[in-house]
Amino acid sequence: MRQTPLYDEHVSLGGKVVDFHGWALPVQFSGIVQEHLHTRTKAALFDCSHMGEFRIHGKDAVRAYARLVCSDPEGLPLGRGRYGAVLNENGGIIDDIITIRLAEDEWFVVTNAGPLEKVSQMFCGAHTGIEDVSDATAKIDIQGPSARDVLVREIPEAAGLKYFNARPARWKNVDLVLSRTGYTGELGFELFVPEAAAVDLWRALLSHDGVIPAGLGARDTLRTELGYLLSGQDFDESRTPLEAKMDSFIAWDTEFTGKEALLEQRSQGGYAVIAAIKTGDRRAPRHEFDVKQESAVVGRVTSGTFGPSVGHGVGLAYVTQELATPGRALTAGPKDLPIVTTSLPFYTAGTCRK
Amino acid sequence: MFPKEMKYTKDHEWVREDDGVYTVGITSFAAEQLGDVTYVELPEIGAEVEQGDSAAAVESVKAASDVYAPVGGRVCETNHELEAAPELVNQDPYEQGWFFKLEGVSPAQLKSLLDADAYEKYVGEQAH
Repeated sequence: MRQTPLYDEHVSLGGKVVDFHGWALPVQFSGIVQEHLHTRTKAALFDCSHMGEFRIHGKDAVRAYARLVCSDPEGLPLGRGRYGAVLNENGGIIDDIITIRLAEDEWFVVTNAGPLEKVSQMFCGAHTGIEDVSDATAKIDIQGPSARDVLVREIPEAAGLKYFNARPARWKNVDLVLSRTGYTGELGFELFVPEAAAVDLWRALLSHDGVIPAGLGARDTLRTELGYLLSGQDFDESRTPLEAKMDSFIAWDTEFTGKEALLEQRSQGGYAVIAAIKTGDRRAPRHEFDVKQESAVVGRVTSGTFGPSVGHGVGLAYVTQELATPGRALTAGPKDLPIVTTSLPFYTAGTCRK
Repeated sequence: MFPKEMKYTKDHEWVREDDGVYTVGITSFAAEQLGDVTYVELPEIGAEVEQGDSAAAVESVKAASDVYAPVGGRVCETNHELEAAPELVNQDPYEQGWFFKLEGVSPAQLKSLLDADAYEKYVGEQAH
């Protein structure tokens, strides 16, 4: 297993380390529920150094990149980030991404660990001005309602940064990229730092009152309560952005790989879509549970867990468009757990836009 | 490490006899492996279970699993505290975190179970 620059920190903090896409990462420190609730009320740190990052230098390079993603990176205003996806010719989702415009001629892209090798070949093969900086870059997320109050004491530039905005910043002579984004639904930032500075920054952030380390387990329950998708689990190349309900992130007026297939699918209709499902008690739907109506299988759960902040089971499942409308009573799993389709997010009190 | 007054199964349940009533729960090892317990499904009072039957279920953030009856008998009491406070299974697995009680148990069935030392050895082997 590969180790992030923070591996020794995780071990010394009592993190329970697991294999995540070939990376040794902590699934929990004090406990998933405790870390989850702490992130919703104070602030937690997450090591996401396994994720992929790219730098795009110049307008020719971004033009080549723009043909590989559905979200119009050329049209991004300076200092803004935008969610999107990399598709294959059939419209299947290879990965979801965030593109940030750091400067007039400089873009920064964040991708996931699972499909990184493939995505890197696509991006770097498209133009010499696209650089894979994943190995040199550590990523630390600070998430929670008090994240800004903590972060400004280390990086004053964090103060005025709005949701889904990003900028270059400095911390103790280290250049980093700071973005007001996250995967928890809470006010938070993602910090992209040179590998060598990761331990110092992690320790500095952790030294503030009310900040705890959190693992992949809490990251998963937090994102599921918001209905955020997990690459490789809630979608893969067998699913399109229309099926994954990413419609609003598709720039139809641009040209990109997979667009023809999406136009075809959109005109044909009849495809399954991802739906939010919840239980009426503490039982949880689970990944790969069949979804049934009466006794007929009508779909499949892709993510599911107990939601510590909502107090009931929450999940995502692909079902027909008709069944995806809120309020449909279905069952899931071998014990026919009653579930109801609903709307997202499950957890509505998140502070991410505050 | 594990209480001496209990008997244990390889599925990580414990059973303790008090005046002919057998209390069942899951071990601290099982609770640790599951992580935060979020839901416990208990059997009906009066249900007859055979040794090895799935008698209850436990869910955590990470996983869901069945709880098997370490011995056969009739369910005479269940721990309703766990419905509102399933975290008791993590916090106090051998006292407040018990699942159900059985009566009408054939004591001979206990012979097939592990004592604390044997269970500790078994768990040690599982960890490797």
